[in-house]
Amino acid sequence: MIKESLIGEFEKIVGKENVLTSKESLKAYSYDGTSSWIHEPDVVLFPTSTAEIAAIMKIANAEKVPVTPRGGGTNVSGGSVPIQGGIVLALAKFNKIIRIDKENMTATVEPGVVLMDLNMALAREGLFFPPDPQSFLGATLGGIIAENAGGPACVKYGVTKQYILGLEVVLPTGDVINVGGRTLKNVVGYDLTMLFVSSEGTLGVVTKAELKLNPMPPARKTIMAVYDDVAKAGENVFRVLENGVIPNKIELLDNWVINRIEEMMPMGLPKDADAVLLFETDGIPEAVEKETEKIVEIAKKYGATDVRVAKDQAEADKYWLARRAGFAAVFGKAPTVFAEDVTVPRGRIPDLIRKCKELAKKYAVEIVVLGHAGDGNLHPSILTDIKNKDHYDRAVKAMDEIIEGAVELGGVISGEHGIGLEKQKFFRKIENPKVIDIMKGIKALVDPNNIMNPGKIW
Amino acid sequence: MSSDLKELKKIEKDADQCMKCGFCSFFCPVYQEEHTETSVARGKNFLVKEILKGNQEFTPEMGEIIGKCLLCKRCVANCPSKTQIDRVVVGARAQMVKDKGLGFIKDFAFRKVMSNRKAFGRYVKLASKFQWIFPKGEGNIRHLPDFLKALGQGRHIPAIAKTFLRDQVEEVNKPQDGKEPKMRVGYFMGCATDFIYPELGKKIIDFLTKRGIEVVVPKEQNCCGAAIYFSGDFETGRKLAKDNIDAFKDVDYIVTACGTCSSTLKDYKVYLPDNEDQQKAYEEFGKKIKDATEFVVDVMKVNLDELKLKKEFEGKTATWHDPCHLIRYQNIKEQPRAILRALKGLKFAEMPNADLCCGMGGSFSVYHYDLTKKIADKKMAGIKATNADIVVTACPGCMINLIDNVARSKMPQKVHHLLELVE
Repeated sequence: MIKESLIGEFEKIVGKENVLTSKESLKAYSYDGTSSWIHEPDVVLFPTSTAEIAAIMKIANAEKVPVTPRGGGTNVSGGSVPIQGGIVLALAKFNKIIRIDKENMTATVEPGVVLMDLNMALAREGLFFPPDPQSFLGATLGGIIAENAGGPACVKYGVTKQYILGLEVVLPTGDVINVGGRTLKNVVGYDLTMLFVSSEGTLGVVTKAELKLNPMPPARKTIMAVYDDVAKAGENVFRVLENGVIPNKIELLDNWVINRIEEMMPMGLPKDADAVLLFETDGIPEAVEKETEKIVEIAKKYGATDVRVAKDQAEADKYWLARRAGFAAVFGKAPTVFAEDVTVPRGRIPDLIRKCKELAKKYAVEIVVLGHAGDGNLHPSILTDIKNKDHYDRAVKAMDEIIEGAVELGGVISGEHGIGLEKQKFFRKIENPKVIDIMKGIKALVDPNNIMNPGKIW
Repeated sequence: MSSDLKELKKIEKDADQCMKCGFCSFFCPVYQEEHTETSVARGKNFLVKEILKGNQEFTPEMGEIIGKCLLCKRCVANCPSKTQIDRVVVGARAQMVKDKGLGFIKDFAFRKVMSNRKAFGRYVKLASKFQWIFPKGEGNIRHLPDFLKALGQGRHIPAIAKTFLRDQVEEVNKPQDGKEPKMRVGYFMGCATDFIYPELGKKIIDFLTKRGIEVVVPKEQNCCGAAIYFSGDFETGRKLAKDNIDAFKDVDYIVTACGTCSSTLKDYKVYLPDNEDQQKAYEEFGKKIKDATEFVVDVMKVNLDELKLKKEFEGKTATWHDPCHLIRYQNIKEQPRAILRALKGLKFAEMPNADLCCGMGGSFSVYHYDLTKKIADKKMAGIKATNADIVVTACPGCMINLIDNVARSKMPQKVHHLLELVE
């Protein structure tokens, strides 16, 4: 428990209205987007400046109080759950877009800016921030950076780390540093910016970020391809790419997901299809036309039974709404769901899908597959019920084997969600101990008292 | 805990739907101002589940948290897992009222005044004497019903009618052409129309009787119950439901020009039933309810091109505000726009975020008037962007709040009910 006298100190720093201690408020900051990780903090603080955060960190460091930064709380790794209590540093009110620089195509933002709000502001200037975690309606830039988030558009545009030029960070000691800068090229010593990107809030608090932007593509098209075998769909992904087209998204829905979406909101998806791929191309109109033609041609050549090009944006929106509804469809159908985040090299997607099918049979559990097929980041999800011990145990075994299988195929245990609490056991099992030691060494150097989001990653 | 949690158990399934993705935060007008997790659906839902699990009690702060929701349903409309958070919030309020009772002011307003139509009328009359001094003389109205009290917070308030609608209209109104009626329609006035906008009520009766419809206006009709049952007083809510069901017998439809009333009457079945008989009775009643906008377009199928614009609106530009109770509670979006577009001589300009709540939220604005103003500021920005001369809507509740905020923002726009525009 936190010392009573500290509450008064914090009130002096951020103001009484920005310090929450009621039982109800603490409960409301005990969770994130996962279902299994819950722990209440002792206090929730809402700082709105770098100076306030530095002052808070100095006290926390002196008193050895755990600090867990939190943006929108949309993450699905347990990352923003204050698992050892202490302070939740809620950054949602520290949310100004400081500058949009059209000439240099950069933006400077505070950590609490929500991605959707940023992209709406950028759209007015003809710009966009390409990384697109599907939690964009709630996810904040601070969290997106801390988790190195990605989404469907990764196929063409990559993930968050490719769009962070520089950061202002408050260290656990309360010192403020600037890493990186505002230029596209920057090789001044170790790349410390990358240290903080994907640090999951364990090394410091991002208080300002310099983002690299892209011009908004003037045209886009959506193509839906239907397959009678999900493995064929997997193969189609790299066939399209090896034929010289890089769509900005390639998303996969399997038969089970298609049918649940049709139940929730009928939109004419082919219910008997084993899998559907959704492609999106974007760029200048002529290129988009050509790329669309090429995708249609390749999909047909390599076994798609039906290929549809959305005739207008309304039809395209319908398909992408279906894709976004995919997760809800999965979560709504079972009391407990393991949503995996394994990622394999693209060419091994069919192998991974086959593996999932085998395991579903072997353990008699339902395993559904949807995800960002374009970058090998699938989300095989296992439907189970924590109250049904026998079923749950089988589901756990199946999940363990999916993860081992993905690693054997040359993949990783998490593509975009991060380790947090959710994947710790796999991280310890799979990661080289030497590598973990280096990580721990860095952590000890930056955070000697282990107060920044303790209990995460390893 | 001694509570039986009966009302909460009814909504347990709804509460379990939430998968905590947090997307609701983007759509919640309250969260967008406060940025705290207890403002938004996900947080409220989590806390209600904690009560169900026995980990949380109905503390005063809990009351504050579940009270601070506009019930605008923007989160519901955009929820990937289709969580009916409105049911969760209203159910939690009902459980709290059941366990703890309504506070004194609310008790007084709802149980003793609003459910007794004559007494309510008297209080409104009393209020009308003070109406010009409301902004200064707050103390004088301390004992007035809930929403009237709200009007005393320095608001620009609409004048309260000298003669209420109920005292101006006949109970039976035959078609004006003297022919056999095409159908028999019950007209539901609603409090705001009855006490503040009686002209609107007369207008509707005239509109319908001109077109061969017989309109009955039962004097026994009561308040729809929105402010009452959305606050959790289901007991009084069921009494009002019964009054209204009994008042409207032998009609083909029941029409109202208040978006909140039409949705409230339709939705008795969603929130109030305590047994199968009630469920059935509410469902039957709900089928007959039509909002005036949908009645004109979908049921009467009026040829919109023949509608005539009132002279005073000639050459004006109008913009449309979607009341929450029309667009999200009843999925009524296109009908009013079709009417506006069809009116010759009127220009229609869609405002950005037309579906954004105006910030009224019934008794929400009584307790959180500062928030109401902040939320309304966003609405005002949308209105300004259109350069419209008039703001048109179809809910007197929204009208009261829009008039207040247009005046507060020193904007030139006048606020009108859609049917006021039609000759």
